[in-house]
This record gives sequence, structure tokens and C-alpha cells, in this order.
Amino acid sequence: MAAGVAVGAAAGAAEAGATEMRDRVGIGWRPELAAGILANVDRIDLVEVIADDWFAAGRRQLRALRTLGAQLPVVLHGVGLGLASSEPVDARRLAAMARVVEAVRPEFWSEHLAFVRAGGHEIGHLAAPPRTSATIEGAAANVDRARRIVGSAPLLENIATLIDPPGSDRDEAAFVVGIAEAADAELLLDLHNLHANATNFAFDPLAFLDALPTHRIRAVHLAGGRWVSASSGERRLLDDHLQEVPETVFTLLEELGARSPRPLTVVVERDGNYPAIATLLEELDRARRALVRGRARRVAGRARVA
Amino acid sequence: MSAQALEAFLARLYTDADARRDFLADPRGSAARAELEPSEVDGLAAIDRDGLELAARSFEKKRAAREPRRSAWTRRLLALRRYFSSHVYMSR
Repeated sequence: MAAGVAVGAAAGAAEAGATEMRDRVGIGWRPELAAGILANVDRIDLVEVIADDWFAAGRRQLRALRTLGAQLPVVLHGVGLGLASSEPVDARRLAAMARVVEAVRPEFWSEHLAFVRAGGHEIGHLAAPPRTSATIEGAAANVDRARRIVGSAPLLENIATLIDPPGSDRDEAAFVVGIAEAADAELLLDLHNLHANATNFAFDPLAFLDALPTHRIRAVHLAGGRWVSASSGERRLLDDHLQEVPETVFTLLEELGARSPRPLTVVVERDGNYPAIATLLEELDRARRALVRGRARRVAGRARVA
Repeated sequence: MSAQALEAFLARLYTDADARRDFLADPRGSAARAELEPSEVDGLAAIDRDGLELAARSFEKKRAAREPRRSAWTRRLLALRRYFSSHVYMSR
């Protein structure tokens, strides 16, 4: 498969003046997958590198990362800034992000709509903040700070949560839209996070998709998860990145492809329990097929309207 | 300021098993002692208890997965910092 998925032509360019929709599908760069990725660059459109892993890197290590960028397009992904918070984001972490961005010069970088520390407590992972206007204002200010220090704004990613965040006064869709609009930022839509939250908190993921400003969605994450149980017996879906991408998530990708007016960069995330690289490459191909189906629906729908 | 106080309260709830136990025994009293707004106290009183248990467990596993990377000396320093920050927090 050549880089990118050209969909407009494949769907017959049914609408007058249809522009080619060049979606791309890649994978999260992990040391355990490095050999498999580098042996299959013809089937991988890009890699996403965890920026935080390179915050303490020396010049030689950053040069190595630039060398990777010569093989495949690289985008950067942050996990520790904690932008969705009423607390100001740490300027030292932003400076570290700026250094990696400057070294790699990615097409874009991204970070989560989460808080990861507060009041001196390091949570250790991405936590859903109270969904309030105060958090939206804080997040917008933090994105602005990031834009000034790093030189560009991050794409903002929706997170998975096992707990309905206490103190919230709006639903997740309103919260994500509120931050995207207030910060004038693009979105990275994690479809497994959406699937997990929709499953755990009983809302319609398609209604969530319809509520988002699709023109702001530039990138997509796909991943898998597993069920976990509380002592009461209540089960929730945990986004653990250790399982294969479920069919439901590919269906959501097709739905997004049918709605999105712009090319999408899709990344399959896998953080452990690694299968053979062929299995992961097949997941990339399934994502491409889902996008082709979605784009064909979009073109056909627009042709009907015309 | 209250928004930051609520985030700090939640961060402690997610990371400190003793604080979590005390909170679950008396959610309103625990939240009120942290000087949160009445609406925030109401929100915490109606907390998703299963979600709290599962989220705290998940966060603990994530922290534990990173712990071996740190030296024993760093772990001691972090434990001290946690102790002092929670002590300051409790005395507010």
C-alpha cells in the first residue's frame, strides 16, 4: 500500500469538483516494534512518537529521532502536560516539549484533555477533570501558553475515564467542544476512548461524533481495551492499549470518515502484549478499508444532495 | 481558586488510599473540610463509587509500573514529599 489512502478518486469523484481525500494510517513508535516498523515502511504512512520519552534526550539521541523522520513522517504525542486543568501548565515541561518539537519538526504534536497532577499530587496517568467552565478556561489558557512556548498548539485528545468526573456540570461532548472552540485548537479523536466512555456511561457515540466540530478533527487514535470489575461486580471497559482494536472502533472510524471534511491521520496505538508485526499491519489495513468505506459514503451523500 | 482546590482534592482521592477511605466514610464532611464550593460538595457526595475504585486502582498500577525506574533514594524523597504535601493539605 502506498502512503496514504486516496479516497475521492476511488469513490468515483461523484461530486463536481471533488478533491482527493488523502488519509494516512500509521502506528505508535515503540522500541519493541522498531524492527517491525522499519522493515515495513512501505505499509506504514507515519509513526507517532511519545514526546515525553525524549524530554531528557541528548543531542545525539535527538539526531537519531531526526533520522527516523527521514524514514517515515513523524508526529509527536505528549502524555504528561496536564493541559485540561485550572492550574497553569508547567513551563519547564513546555520548554522540554519545545526542544523535542524543534528537533523533530513534526507535522503536528498532540496532548490529552486530562489533568495529571494537582496540589502536589502526581496521579501517574491521565485523569478526567471536572467538566466545568473553569476547566475550559484553564485549558484554553494552557493551550495558549503551549502555543507561545512550543511555537504551535497541540491537537487536543479526548481521554478515556473509568470514573464519571465529579463536580462536572456538562457532558463530555460539550466539554471537548468548549475547549476546542475556546482554544481555537484542532482535535485528535481517540475512537477507543470514545467507545469506552460511551460503553461505561451509556451514551451514543454517534451523537458524540455529531456534536463535534468535524472540521477541527485532524487525527485519530485506535486502540483496544478490556473489561475490569469493581468489588460491587460493576464492570467497566478499560482503555489499556494491550488488546487488538475491536470491530466497533473500526465502525466508528468509518462513521467519522463519512462525516469528516478533511484528511485524517490515523494512528494505531499498542503499548504491550505485542503481537507479530503482521497482525498490527493488518489493523492498519482494516483502518484504511474503514476509511475508504466512510469516504465513499460521504462522497455518495454529497452527490445525492447535489 | 476553588477549581484548583477541587482538582487537588480529586488528585489526592485518586492517589491516597487513606484519604479515599476517609472520604467514602463521610463524603460531605470530607469535601466541606477542604473548603470546596457547595455545588462541588454536592457533586462529590454523589460520586461514582465504582468508578472511583476502578480509577484509583488503574492509576496505582500506572504509578507502580514507573516506580522500578526510580532509585530507592528517589522513592524515599518522593514519599517524603507526598507526606508533607498531604500534611499541608490536611491542615488547610
